[in-house]
Amino acid sequence: MLSSAERVAFILLVLVCSALAFKGFARMVKIVRRGRAAQRSDNLICRFAEAFIDIALQRPIFKARPVASFFHALIFFGFSFYVLVNVNDLLEAFVDGWSTIGGGPIASLFNLASDLLSMAVLVGMVFFLIRRFVVKPKVLTFNPSVKLHPAVAAGGLRKDSLIVGIFILMHVGSRWLGTALHLAENGHSDPWLPTASAASHLFAGLSPAALDTGVHVCWWLAMGLIVLFLPYFPRSKHLHLMVAPVNLALDRRSPRGLMDAVSDVASPGAKTLTDLPWPQLLDSYACIMCNRCQEACPAHTSGTPLSPAALEINKRYTLTDHAAELASGASAPNLLDAATSVDAVWSCTTCYACVRVCPVGNEPMMDLLNIRRDLMMDGAAPDELAEVLRSLDEKGNSFGDSPRKRARWSKPLDFKIKNANKEPCEFLWYVGDFASYNPDCQEVSRTVARILTAAGIDFGILYEKERSAGNDVRRTGEEGLFESLAEQNAAALEACEFERIFTTDPHTFNALKNEYGPYGERYQSIEHYSTLLLELLENGSLKVGKRLGGRATYHDPCYLGRYNGGFDAPRRVIEACGVELLEMPRNRENSFCCGAGGGRIWMKDHDDMTERPSENRIREALELGAIDSFVVACPKDLTMYRDAVKTSGNEGKIVVKDIADFVAEAMELG
Amino acid sequence: MDMTVLLKRVPDLVEDLEVDDSGKALDEDSVSLKLNEFDDHALEEALLLKEGGGGTVTVIALDGEDVDKMLYTALAKGADRALKVMGGDPDGGNQALAGIFVAALDGHGGDLILTGVQAADDRDGQLAPRVGALLGRPCIEVVTEVNPGDGKVTVHKELAGGVVAEYEVDLPAVLGIQAARQTPRYAPVSRVRQIQESATIDTVTSAATEGAGFTVVAMTPPETGEGAQMLDGVDELVKVLDAKGVI
Repeated sequence: MLSSAERVAFILLVLVCSALAFKGFARMVKIVRRGRAAQRSDNLICRFAEAFIDIALQRPIFKARPVASFFHALIFFGFSFYVLVNVNDLLEAFVDGWSTIGGGPIASLFNLASDLLSMAVLVGMVFFLIRRFVVKPKVLTFNPSVKLHPAVAAGGLRKDSLIVGIFILMHVGSRWLGTALHLAENGHSDPWLPTASAASHLFAGLSPAALDTGVHVCWWLAMGLIVLFLPYFPRSKHLHLMVAPVNLALDRRSPRGLMDAVSDVASPGAKTLTDLPWPQLLDSYACIMCNRCQEACPAHTSGTPLSPAALEINKRYTLTDHAAELASGASAPNLLDAATSVDAVWSCTTCYACVRVCPVGNEPMMDLLNIRRDLMMDGAAPDELAEVLRSLDEKGNSFGDSPRKRARWSKPLDFKIKNANKEPCEFLWYVGDFASYNPDCQEVSRTVARILTAAGIDFGILYEKERSAGNDVRRTGEEGLFESLAEQNAAALEACEFERIFTTDPHTFNALKNEYGPYGERYQSIEHYSTLLLELLENGSLKVGKRLGGRATYHDPCYLGRYNGGFDAPRRVIEACGVELLEMPRNRENSFCCGAGGGRIWMKDHDDMTERPSENRIREALELGAIDSFVVACPKDLTMYRDAVKTSGNEGKIVVKDIADFVAEAMELG
Repeated sequence: MDMTVLLKRVPDLVEDLEVDDSGKALDEDSVSLKLNEFDDHALEEALLLKEGGGGTVTVIALDGEDVDKMLYTALAKGADRALKVMGGDPDGGNQALAGIFVAALDGHGGDLILTGVQAADDRDGQLAPRVGALLGRPCIEVVTEVNPGDGKVTVHKELAGGVVAEYEVDLPAVLGIQAARQTPRYAPVSRVRQIQESATIDTVTSAATEGAGFTVVAMTPPETGEGAQMLDGVDELVKVLDAKGVI
C-alpha cells in the first residue's frame, strides 16, 4: 500500500525512534538495578504466568472503582488486540495486495474484532478524558500540604494524561477512519466492519485520489504515531502497560505482615532513592498515577500531607529528571527532598490499604517504613514518639507504667489467672499493652477471662514478664527496640509450658505470627481470640443461651484482616450471639483503618487533620441507618472508636463493643 | 569546650513505692531506677553545645544496676567518653555525692560541668553548687539555655513567674540544668547495641570524701486525705461555712 519512499521513511523513523526509546529503557533498567537487593526472582515462569492470567482477567484493577475499571478494561482489551492490528497494518503497508477486507472467515472475524474493539478503546478513552478534564473528580487532586515534584505541581500529570489520551484517540481513531476510507474507496460496506462501514458512507462523495490520500494519511497517523510515541514511553505514565505486568509478576511473596529484614545494620533504612530495594524503584515506573492508593489511605483522607500516590509520582519524576546521571552511578537525591516530607512519613498508619488496592503491585508503604528506619537510626523521631519508645525500652510497655502493674487488670476478678511462668497451662494468653493497661480495654480483658473460665479453659498469662510484642515499634522504624522486645518475650515464652497460644491483640497476633520466626517456630501458630471463641462456640464449650437481637456492624482491624486474612471468625462469633450483622461499604480487605497503627496512636494528630480516620469510620457506620453497636476485635480499636464517638458528637447513637462483650451477654455471665 | 555531665539514677515514680521495714528507706523490691530526667536535659544541653561549637562530652555516673546501659545510651547519643565510679555510696545525699564525683574527676572536669538542677529523690538542688564549691568554680542553677563564648558562657537562668535572667559565667564553671533547649534526643536501641560492642566504659574508684551531713530519721508515704467535697454554688458554700461555725 505504501509507496517505496514512504516505506523507507517509515523504516528510518522506526530505527531512530527505537534507538531513542532503547536508550530510555536501558537507563531505566540501570537505575532500578541500583536499588538494594530483594528476592523476587524465584519461580519466574510461574510468577509471569500468574501475572498474565490476573491481567487478562483485569483482576488487579477491579479491586476498586468498578466503573473506571470497566472503561479501562475496554481500552485494555482493545489495545491488546491492537498488537495484531498493528502487525496486520504493517503487512498491509509492506506486502502488496495484503488486505483482510473481503477475506476468509478468519480475516472477517479479525475485522469484526478490530472494528468493535476500536470503538471500545475510543469509548473508554473518551470516558477517561471527560473524567479527568471535565468532571475533574476530587480523587485526582492532592491535599494542599502534600509534597509534589515541581513539574507535578505545575500540572505535569494533566499534560501527560492529555498526550497519552490524544495519542490513543489518534492511533486507534486514525486506524478506524483509514478502514472507513478504504471501504469508501472500494465502494462497498462490509458486514464484518459494521462501524467502519457506517462511517464510510460519509466519504461517498470524495474522489478516488482524495480517498487514497486519506488512507495514506490515516495509516501514518496510526502507525507513524505509535513509532513516534516510543521514545516518549519511558517518560510517560503510559509506561505502565509495559512495567505493570513485570511489577505484578515480581511482587512480594512473603507474608504481608513480615517487614523486610535489615540488610545493612549500619544504615538500616533508606535515605536516598537508591537506598530503596530495587522493586520499590520499579514501583515508580509501574505507577499509572491513578491515586487509588491515596483514596484508600486513612492519612490522606483525614487531610494530612501523606499521599502514597504523590510519593510514587515524585519518585518517578525525580528518576526521570536525573535519569542520565543516575544511570551512570551518580548519588541519588534524598527521599525527603525529592519524594515526600517528614510529616508525611510519620502520618502513615501502616494499614496496608495502599499496597492492597494498587492495580500495578506498588508498595508505597514500604518506602515510608524504609524512611522511618533511616530517621530512627539518626534518632529523629517525633518527641512524643521518642518518649513512648523510651518507656517501651525501659518498661516494656507504651504506657510508661510499671511492668509490675501489667496484670493488675486481673485483680478485680473473683478468680486468679494462672501464672504461666510458674505452672503449665493449655492456653497461653498474650494479653498485649492496651488490653493490660488501658482502663476500657482492661474491662474487655476481664470479660475474656470470665468467658474462658466459664468454658473451663485452662489458661495462663505471663504477668510482669510480658512486654509489648513490638509490632508497631518495628513499624516506627525502631528495629533494634523491636529485636530487644522480641528477645525478651521469646525468653519468657520459652520458659513456659503451654500447648496453644492466643492473643486478644491483632498487632501482637501479627508480630508473633509473622515476625517472631527468628525467635522460635511455635509462635507462628498464635491464634486471635476471635478464632478461639468461634472454636469454643462451635464445639459447645461456650453455651450461648440468649439470642441477643439487635443490629451491629463490624470493623476489621488491619492487622487481623487485611494483613492476616482473619475476616470470618469475628463475624461468625457476632452472628452466633444472635446479632444481625450489617456491613459497612468499606469492609474486609477494603476496611478503613482506625488511624492507630504503625505507632500513630503514640503520636499527635497532624495540624492539617480535618477529620480523624476513626471519626470518618463512625460516620460510615452511622450511615448504615439503624444499628446499635459498632463491634471491634482489637483493644486499640475499642479506645479509638469510643473516643471517636465522643469527639464526633455521636454519643448515645452507637455503642462501641468488643466481640467478647456479645459472647458474655449471650452466655448471660453476670 | 570540654564538658562533663554528672548522671544519677533515681527511683521511677510509676512504681508503687513502699517504705521498708526499717522505716527509713524505700523497699528495694518496690524500686526500679531510671536516669534523672534533669540529668538527661543536662546531657542534651552538653551535646547541643558540642554540636554547636565543638569539644568533648564526658558522662560520669556511680556504679549500679543497669548503669552500663545508661552510659552506653549516653555514648550512643553522642557523648565521647563514659566514666563509671566504683566504690561510692549513692545513698549519702548530695553532699557525699558531690565529694565522690569531684574525687573521681580528680581535677579533670573540663571547662564546664553540667548536671540536673534537682532529682526526684533529693529536690534540694545541692549537687551542682556543692561540686562548684569543692572545685572553687562559679555555679549557676536552674539553667535553661547555655551559649558558648570566649573563655566564658552565657546562660539563661529561670526565675519565678517566667522571668529569665541572663548571666555571663567565666570558665571553668558548674551548671545545674533545669531544661535543655530541646527535648532530650532519642538513642535508637540498634545504635546503643552497636556502641556496646565498640566502645568501652572507663572505671575509676572513688569513695566519699564528705559525709552525708544528715541522717534519715523516718520515711513515710504521704497521708491520704479525706477527699474533696464538690459544692453547687454559693448558697451551699454559705451553708457549709455556717455549719462549721465560720460565719
